[in-house]
Amino acid sequence: MNNIKNKFKKALKTINSNSQLKWGCILLCFIIIMIIITPFITKYSPYEISCDMLLPPNPDNILGTDGLGKDVFSMILYGARTSITIGLISALISGVIGTFIGGIAGFVGGKVDAVISEIINIFLMIPTFFLILMIVAIFGSSMFNVMLVLGLTSWPSNARLMRVEALSLKERTFVKSSIAIGESNWKILFNYIIPNGIYPIISNTTLSISGAILTEASLSFLGLGDPNIVSWGQMIFDGKSYMATAPWITTFSGLAILILVVSFYLIGDGLNVVLNPKLKNVNK
Amino acid sequence: MKKYVFRRLCTGFLAVAVVFVLNFFIIKAAPGSPVEILAGRDNPSQQLIDNLNEKYGFNQPLYIQLVKYVSNILKGDLGDSIIYNENILKIIMDKMGTSLLLTLTAIIFAVIIGTAAGLFSATHQRGIVDKVFTSTSYILNSMPSFWLAIMFIMVFATHLGWFPTSGYSDIRHTYTGIRHVLDVMHHLFLPVLTMTLLQLPIYFKIAKSSVIQVLSEDFITTFKATGMNKKKIYNKYVFRNAILPIITVFGISLAFVITGSVLVETVFSWPGTGRVMMNAIMNRDYPLIMGIYLILSLSISIMMLLVDLVYAYIDPRIRNSYK
Repeated sequence: MNNIKNKFKKALKTINSNSQLKWGCILLCFIIIMIIITPFITKYSPYEISCDMLLPPNPDNILGTDGLGKDVFSMILYGARTSITIGLISALISGVIGTFIGGIAGFVGGKVDAVISEIINIFLMIPTFFLILMIVAIFGSSMFNVMLVLGLTSWPSNARLMRVEALSLKERTFVKSSIAIGESNWKILFNYIIPNGIYPIISNTTLSISGAILTEASLSFLGLGDPNIVSWGQMIFDGKSYMATAPWITTFSGLAILILVVSFYLIGDGLNVVLNPKLKNVNK
Repeated sequence: MKKYVFRRLCTGFLAVAVVFVLNFFIIKAAPGSPVEILAGRDNPSQQLIDNLNEKYGFNQPLYIQLVKYVSNILKGDLGDSIIYNENILKIIMDKMGTSLLLTLTAIIFAVIIGTAAGLFSATHQRGIVDKVFTSTSYILNSMPSFWLAIMFIMVFATHLGWFPTSGYSDIRHTYTGIRHVLDVMHHLFLPVLTMTLLQLPIYFKIAKSSVIQVLSEDFITTFKATGMNKKKIYNKYVFRNAILPIITVFGISLAFVITGSVLVETVFSWPGTGRVMMNAIMNRDYPLIMGIYLILSLSISIMMLLVDLVYAYIDPRIRNSYK
């Protein structure tokens, strides 16, 4: 119990030591609390159409209503769930694939490494946004598809980071001795290489969450979002037609995207500094 | 050096080939076909469908279509667009100018302002200006481009009426000469402002971090210890070393210039390649999608190669290691 308490204290101290990390965590906590208490602070459903169309912000509809009389505030709250889900899952997919492929390339080395590095280089040169646009436009824009495509197109940067880590870890004594003992390659990869080399991936994955949220919003804005869910990008797309008469629809949904993306972005950047001892010294 | 160039060329070529084959199969695996759209939804005649299939070669097996397409491209013929019914290269060339005007202007502004701000921030660390710059860059980096564009239209075009809301030039007047240039610039202002602001943080961040990194190197400490003039250290050693990563990013963004920016072009109804691409995707104009994609990946490969060469030329450490 004491051990956990100490660890928690240490974690808090680390978070406090880096202002980006601190502000990012505060913002994200605020967003998560808002998401949890959503059903208690808004009485409207985001899908509920009413006769009060294009109402400006008022005590009943804090952020006004949109062209179909839906409450903008509750749409933004429910849209947060969509954005976070898409960001987290697609970043997770890219993190897992990247770690795995990069780890194998760096650890095995030789021909395997040469081939995988070349594949990574090729994938880094492919213009991803257009590829995503095309796949989603052609194969349908369900939330599942969007997450999968975002994840499958963003793994190479993670793989590159993991490969470099694995290359240097392979030369360390504790890995060499476990090779000498005769532990299986898989065990070494999963027990020693990946746990020790995962730090850069963690910060990069946090950064790619914000990237994924922005890309999803862009897709929805281009009319390629999942029509069955509430999405901020789609709200901006719909609000564009009422730009002159009801600016609050676009303004607030855009601000919501901005706050969520900034929080993940700050955390990712902060983690990068905290987890990377080299950068820590530079900033001192 | 020769070996290095050759290796880079191979990677570039492979990337283009992979993109190409990938696109071909994605498109072929797609549900729906352009023939259905062309033949019309209501009561299409079988004869028309057969004819169209014959015309575009959709009735042949996949590998023959691929071989045929590749051989046509090697001859320099990208084929005709299905929707516009025009040569693809011509369509892209027609629109590329306007896209270039928009993106290139924005990138150049972004490089200059972003780098200058980054250098200032790095040399005045922890100061109030540094803090303002850094937090602004975080906010700009997290902004959806289309949203910023809409905000600008709402404030500067709809409310204040300073700038036109969209388009390339005023279609009610056909200005010529200097009036035309001014008119286009008037229309250009908001899109360029949006794109510049969105690109700024990239250059700011890279300039700042690379200057800080160079400053922490041992040789700079040595120079400082010997009492060398501070200005000389910065101008001759710090900035010269720090400028290298900026060149890389600049080169890579140049590669994307030809496709413009789909989002900003869409919001401002800017008639560029980004919107052609969007149209092509929405209408399932396969040859046009392939054409734009091919040109895009080609330009990325070429630019990356050029960047590496320029890099090797500027940086003696790389230049000498490949001798």
